Amino acid sequence: MSDIIISLDKVRKVYFLDTVEVEALKDISLDIHAGDFVSIAGPSGSGKTTILNLIGCVDKPTSGTVIVHGKRTSDLDDDSLTELRHRSIGFIFQSFNLIPVLNIRENVELPLLLDGRSGSEHKADRKDWVDYLIESVGLKDRMLHKPAELSGGQRQRVAIARALVMKPAIVLADEPTANLDSATGESILRLMRHMNETLGTTFIFSTHDPDIVEEADHLIRLRDGRIVEDRRIHGKTSIDFAVARGTNEAVDATETEGGQP
Amino acid sequence: MIAARLAWGNLGLHRRKSLLIGMIMGMGILILFLGNSLIDTALSGLQRMFVQGYTGDLMITGPTEFPTTVLGETAGSEEVLPHIAQIKKYEDFLASRSDVASTLPLLSGQVSFGIGETELGSGYCFGVNIEDYRNFFPDNVTLVNGDWPTTDEGPWVLLSEPTLALLNKSASSPVGPGTKIIMSALANSAGTVIREVTVKGVIKFNQSNQQLAGITLVDADTMRDLLGFASLRDGAPVLSAQEAAFVAGFDPESLFTDLFVESDPTTANGVAQEVQDAKQGDSAQSTGQGMNSFLEQTNFVADVVPTWQFLLVRVKPGADASRLISDLSAFSEKIGDGDRVQDWISGAGRVARTAVTIRLAFNLLVAVVAVVVVMIMMNVLVISVNERLYEIGTLRAIGAKRRVVRNMILFETTFLALIAGAAGLLVGLVLLLVLGKIGIRAPNLFFEALFGGQVLTPMVSGRAAITAFLWILAIGLGASWYPTIVALRIEPVVAMRGD
Repeated sequence: MSDIIISLDKVRKVYFLDTVEVEALKDISLDIHAGDFVSIAGPSGSGKTTILNLIGCVDKPTSGTVIVHGKRTSDLDDDSLTELRHRSIGFIFQSFNLIPVLNIRENVELPLLLDGRSGSEHKADRKDWVDYLIESVGLKDRMLHKPAELSGGQRQRVAIARALVMKPAIVLADEPTANLDSATGESILRLMRHMNETLGTTFIFSTHDPDIVEEADHLIRLRDGRIVEDRRIHGKTSIDFAVARGTNEAVDATETEGGQP
Repeated sequence: MIAARLAWGNLGLHRRKSLLIGMIMGMGILILFLGNSLIDTALSGLQRMFVQGYTGDLMITGPTEFPTTVLGETAGSEEVLPHIAQIKKYEDFLASRSDVASTLPLLSGQVSFGIGETELGSGYCFGVNIEDYRNFFPDNVTLVNGDWPTTDEGPWVLLSEPTLALLNKSASSPVGPGTKIIMSALANSAGTVIREVTVKGVIKFNQSNQQLAGITLVDADTMRDLLGFASLRDGAPVLSAQEAAFVAGFDPESLFTDLFVESDPTTANGVAQEVQDAKQGDSAQSTGQGMNSFLEQTNFVADVVPTWQFLLVRVKPGADASRLISDLSAFSEKIGDGDRVQDWISGAGRVARTAVTIRLAFNLLVAVVAVVVVMIMMNVLVISVNERLYEIGTLRAIGAKRRVVRNMILFETTFLALIAGAAGLLVGLVLLLVLGKIGIRAPNLFFEALFGGQVLTPMVSGRAAITAFLWILAIGLGASWYPTIVALRIEPVVAMRGD
């Protein structure tokens, strides 16, 4: 079994909207293994994005513990969290979130530029690595275009390349296919899967598309801020973590390797 | 640097807002550059005229409560400006300084001119030693008619052209070199003093305005008479031994004590006896010598320093006049007579003070306008930041620390200031060059005095350009302060909410 790279223990997240308290996550506990292709599924408002926010260190839990890449996020200050995001986590956003003033190459390279390393030996490595990623996502001939000149699918490919440029341990994708047509969505998913297998990066993506859910090695299904299914497909047998942990609703789960497309 | 790259890109992407802010900055720089250049031109013209022609870089005056112009005008008093009692000490102090080029003692006041018993007009007079004056102001006075007076000559007067015209307007016969005229003035203690002087020549001031062009030069002793000071025309007073003994032991305070006590005749007799003894003793020793020899041994020449109201000082090129003023002020404090040390602006009076005040008022106005401009720019920048919530949130999410966001906003403002500044300065430069060609005509006498002539020819002031740019940069950075705070408050989680 691979190492646990992310761990949530009894995590609650409460938002305060004026005088109303909204409990987005209710005592969530889960573990994610390095190198997995993880799907967090559920309807709108179930808490998918909230979990990604907590794992992505862009938000903190109201209570409970979140450990990302061996670090307890509640113990870290703003700079340390930024550093953790920068080094260990890549982001793929639903709306792509490319920087409009930078061309494709600059967008992909941006996290490296934020790193502040400017030695010539780094520059050469950096160039090769950026070129490789852009080529891998099939946008070699669009390298100097601005995001506004690309289609939605192409922009999301750029976002994937940008998410991987720092060679992070984890890539978070918040509904990466939501703004794309189904064919493009499928190709984006295949690309993410390819990168997951090629680079060994842990991919965690949220979705409410049942077809995409089936792509995952590890499925976490949410409803009303609770995990209703937590199933890791390991070899031909899936492990029902929810049953094993005894905290979430038990789900009958048997899956075969041949279930994958 | 990525922050600079992002800032530059954002300026291009948000062209309208960049243009709006850029235009505000450009106009600001233009107004500052033009305004300060015009004021600098007027002020430097005035400075050149006064420093090189009338006041020197700084001056020491007799004790007054308020600054006094070199024409003797002072606020709050109609009396004649007091003299500098210990001028020798100042001269010695200044002689020891390496930053002092030269000094000139001067007397100044207003006098009336007439011929016979007819008063023909009045004007300002400088009482000077003519050679010292010409050495101190070598380029400002031209002899139009007649001769320069010699050192021992007197009493003489060098009439200025306007004064000559004034006299000739009412005189029965033409006034010119050789004419004897009457000068009179109301001295403090001496009442009205009248002196007859010979017109030695007619002069013209090369740099002047309406007021300064009429100044007449007169020999120092005549001026001392007219102002009610003791003159040294006949040399220093010669005192007998008895007078010398009396002066040496004289205590002015004793005049007002024991007024009603009968004086002790033995005391007075005692002093007289001492003097008599001295004479007898001397007489005994001077057997066979003449009376002159006796007088030489027993009479005393009083140690009297000529009276002057002003001591003008020129500093060497590149020397710091304000430092000398500071040192001289400290020295004057030590002397304790209450003499005043002042710069050329105080010496020049109303015109120079007005120019300085105009510059101050202009800068004050600019400061008020700057506050309004800062508010406008701040609003536009805050709107710009709010429109880029997701972009800034994304930057933060993918690992940009707060300083990257802060630098991005600061770079945007700095780039705008540089571009708008260059444009504003370029337009200002063209306008100044055009105005320099055609000149600005003074609309009235006040502006004529301010311009130092009928036409002001603006010069390009580097100081004004730098000041304008620094002002705008400060305004820009000031205006970006709050938007930067707004930007820094944007949390990375914003990026997850979608566009």
